[in-house]
Amino acid sequence: MPMYGDLGNKLALHAKRTQNLAHLPPYQAELVRAVTREVRDLDKEVTTLLEPFQGSFDPAADHATACTLLVNHLSMRRNKRCLLAYHRTRTDKLEEHVWNGVDVLDLVAQQQAGGGNGAAISGEGGASSSLSPQEEDYVRQYGDLLAAYKGQWTDIDLTGSLEPPRDLFIDVRVLKDAGEIQTEYGYVAAVHGSSRICCAGH
Amino acid sequence: MSYYDIDAILTDAEKIPCTFQLDIPDLGYLDNTPSQPLKAGTKVNLPLWLAEMLVIANTGAADNKTFVTFDLPRALGNDVVQALKADPRAVPLRDQSAHFYGLATHMLDLSEEQELGSVLRKTFVTRAAEISLHARKVGSIGHKAKSKGEGASEMGSNLGLGGAGEEFLRGLDEWERSLFRKAHEGAKAGKDWIESVKKN
Repeated sequence: MPMYGDLGNKLALHAKRTQNLAHLPPYQAELVRAVTREVRDLDKEVTTLLEPFQGSFDPAADHATACTLLVNHLSMRRNKRCLLAYHRTRTDKLEEHVWNGVDVLDLVAQQQAGGGNGAAISGEGGASSSLSPQEEDYVRQYGDLLAAYKGQWTDIDLTGSLEPPRDLFIDVRVLKDAGEIQTEYGYVAAVHGSSRICCAGH
Repeated sequence: MSYYDIDAILTDAEKIPCTFQLDIPDLGYLDNTPSQPLKAGTKVNLPLWLAEMLVIANTGAADNKTFVTFDLPRALGNDVVQALKADPRAVPLRDQSAHFYGLATHMLDLSEEQELGSVLRKTFVTRAAEISLHARKVGSIGHKAKSKGEGASEMGSNLGLGGAGEEFLRGLDEWERSLFRKAHEGAKAGKDWIESVKKN
């Protein structure tokens, strides 16, 4: 028995699956459109239902209509929640990618190149991209935002790995001239722009 | 519980049996007969997101009647409760509902069932202990599979519950599953850490 809210539930199931995947599955444009259409239909129905009352509807006087209105309202609210949650699950994933330094748009381009197989650039990103155009936009702008945020602290790499180094010696890049530095292995010159191997403990 | 919580949204899709208290001409489609009015007394399975509000909503009538009344879903019916009382570990909750506890919490909000709450609480506590036991064990089995040879005799002690254990884990509902995952990851991370400390 198909009823209002069923399509929204499908979206929620898609979102649930997305949570457990490493990559982002294709955007369910059809489903999203269908759910929004459902909301519009429900809204239309509410308007038609209320029309004869001329804005003076009394729920206590007409229980049946009041109940129908409530059901319609709840269905719309449910659809809204499903839509929002679906999109938020995806943007969360996208933000994660951006923080991890995965170039999402590049990934999309690669998928297109791989999927298209040289046959034709089908639909210019529409068919084979797993992101909606709005999502691509979101990623781009979020990336800019993150870059601007990181730009405030040039000497800290906010997106760097949080794993402490395991090796005894690591490469460091000299950011500020520090002149000669004495280590237990002798002197090294720390000059701006040079790269040095340092003992991890120091 | 967040507005955007997917599990909460899926829990809200669980259906409970409801009975309509008045005739409603436009809602026939809920009972699969779109052309006919929905008669008072019709029993329909409604998803929680719809039923919850309809049960609470006041019609505004003098007798304080609500639009629908509801019964406990079968997942929380007498049979299941009796089985849970006998042995919480023996009931595959997942077969009743994938979001068993979520559904139960909603129902407890709506009904005044006294006993149900305490049965469920005991159920969860008993099962949680069992879950944590399994979560630790799975890790050690996985570990042994890597370094075969040594574990033949030890495997014996683990397998005491092996087959039944798998059965039990299959019957976990979503909440218990996440608990299992967390317990499992915790045990694994702890072990990894100890190993890395030993190396240094």
